[in-house]
Amino acid sequence: MTDAQILILMSTLSTGLILGAIFALVAAGVTIVYGCVWLPNASNGQFFLLASLAAWTFTASFGWTSLAAAAGVLILGTALSYLLEWILIRRLYDTPNRNVAYFVVTLGLTQIMTGIFSLTYAKWSDQFTLPPVIEGITMFGPFPMPNNRLLVMGVSLLVLVLLFVLLRYHPYGRALRAVFQNREAAALRGVNVRAIYRLSFVLGSVIIFLGGILFALAYSYDLTVAWTMSITAFAIMIIGGPGSVIGAVVVGMTFGFTQAIVSIFASPTAATFSYLGAMLLILLFRPSGLFKR
Amino acid sequence: MKLASDRALWIFAAAALALPIIADGNKFLAFVLGMTYISLLWATGMNLMYGFVGLMPLMFAGVAGIAGYAVVHLTREFGWSFWLAMPVATVMAALAGVALGLPSLRLKGFYFTLCSLVIQTVLTLAFIFFPTYTNGDTGINQIAPPDWFGGQLKGLGLELMIALFTVVGILLCAWIVRSPLGQRFVAIREDDILAEAIGIRVVRCKIIAFFIVSLYAGVGGCFYSVYIGFVSPRAFDVLVSMNIWLFVAFGGRGTIAGPIIGTAILAPIPFLLQELQAFKDILSGVLIIVVTLLMPGGIYGAWLARRRRTQKAMTDSARVQESRV
Repeated sequence: MTDAQILILMSTLSTGLILGAIFALVAAGVTIVYGCVWLPNASNGQFFLLASLAAWTFTASFGWTSLAAAAGVLILGTALSYLLEWILIRRLYDTPNRNVAYFVVTLGLTQIMTGIFSLTYAKWSDQFTLPPVIEGITMFGPFPMPNNRLLVMGVSLLVLVLLFVLLRYHPYGRALRAVFQNREAAALRGVNVRAIYRLSFVLGSVIIFLGGILFALAYSYDLTVAWTMSITAFAIMIIGGPGSVIGAVVVGMTFGFTQAIVSIFASPTAATFSYLGAMLLILLFRPSGLFKR
Repeated sequence: MKLASDRALWIFAAAALALPIIADGNKFLAFVLGMTYISLLWATGMNLMYGFVGLMPLMFAGVAGIAGYAVVHLTREFGWSFWLAMPVATVMAALAGVALGLPSLRLKGFYFTLCSLVIQTVLTLAFIFFPTYTNGDTGINQIAPPDWFGGQLKGLGLELMIALFTVVGILLCAWIVRSPLGQRFVAIREDDILAEAIGIRVVRCKIIAFFIVSLYAGVGGCFYSVYIGFVSPRAFDVLVSMNIWLFVAFGGRGTIAGPIIGTAILAPIPFLLQELQAFKDILSGVLIIVVTLLMPGGIYGAWLARRRRTQKAMTDSARVQESRV
């Protein structure tokens, strides 16, 4: 292989890994909430963007470091998720067919947030960039990799692993999975179903916020990323199987690499088209998705 | 009871046809009225699907867009008369709507809605990325008004024509709803498995509904493009579908009067907010949430429920008085 080929390969590989890990994170957040609460969060892209924009405000306007901004956004995000659950989400816990109602409510949230962003951030700037957390470049052969992106990749993969461990071994995770499988039986065994709903909504939302921060650290972005992320996360959830975290990770990684490879030859919109097509096919022929939850 | 609602319907029809003449003096008012009528035609179609069949077709605006673009293409490139192009474009859009919707008819509830959202997104992307027919994101402007016996139909004439189509659309919807077909729609909405069990061909009914609804979307789309004179992918994106849905849900799904009330209240708002379009998004987002959480029956539904309660209370108290005597 020539140096040029190695460069292309390495850049595809690194982009694929970072994008894939972030896609997997966001989709895992969406799928946990859907599997447990039956809430298909159509505004996940706006949540994602909100976190990145808030981090941008903290660094650009308040002069915080990126790390402090990330911490601030996560704390604020947690508070916001609890608030949202308290105001909106809990009102529909006992509604039959609540997934349609939730879908509509989150589409409404999407409109509200889109309106707010276009009144504010759209007027302030059209490209947003966060300063890197760490400086410097590591060379992989001829391929220069910014340490900052290495960090983002590491953190996203680490969070995915932690999420797995939490769901598999921690008592909270076990209760969460019990509610996934059968909420009546879980309630009979003494699981506080409403508390688990709240916990998983907050957990899922915070994971989406984290995905937004990580994405903002690795790449510069504009406001359209919300729309792309919404579609991508939904496609991943549907294809991977609603409620399946493994599905979200596997399909998310696949999508990340697809995007990285497609971007070499064609515009990223082609990748979005292919996600939509894949989602339609799965919806029509195998609505339960590729992976069991 | 039935006679009374019939009379209300005819009074509404007469008033709707008279309004453009009254509003004709004020250009702005007349324009808002014309746009409200087009929205009302769309809302009536959406209500047939969402209110009576119980499915939420978010690709509605996309289907309208197919007709809107087709009518422009047929009149411009092929030199067809609008009155020939409109039915052709509408039927084309309806067939496309059925073809796109056909596979999703097996799905129910959330999965159907999601599927229709995906189709809507694909259509919006197609409008942007096939500029041969749509001129991409820039859109097509200076669309000529419909031809009319050698001249052009614009201003009051076009508004009256739109009003006529809207009124006919509403009367047609009222007639369909009372027909055996409409009863089957309601049966499917209430319980599709039960409907299947008593011999209703659910899938066939849904296809028929899809076709009719797409016709509504198509006619509205055709009139939209010639009335505004400008079409772009923004005019037919998912926000428009959500808005039309909101008109129906806010007014009261599954009734004839509901969408009329909802559209009359909500459709003019964006024109009053001229410079502040972003506020419109926020407002409709808030309304969507409020309607879903607090008044699932919409304004008209809430009013009906209240009237039923008061009537029941009155008859109860009458009974009490009788028993005292």
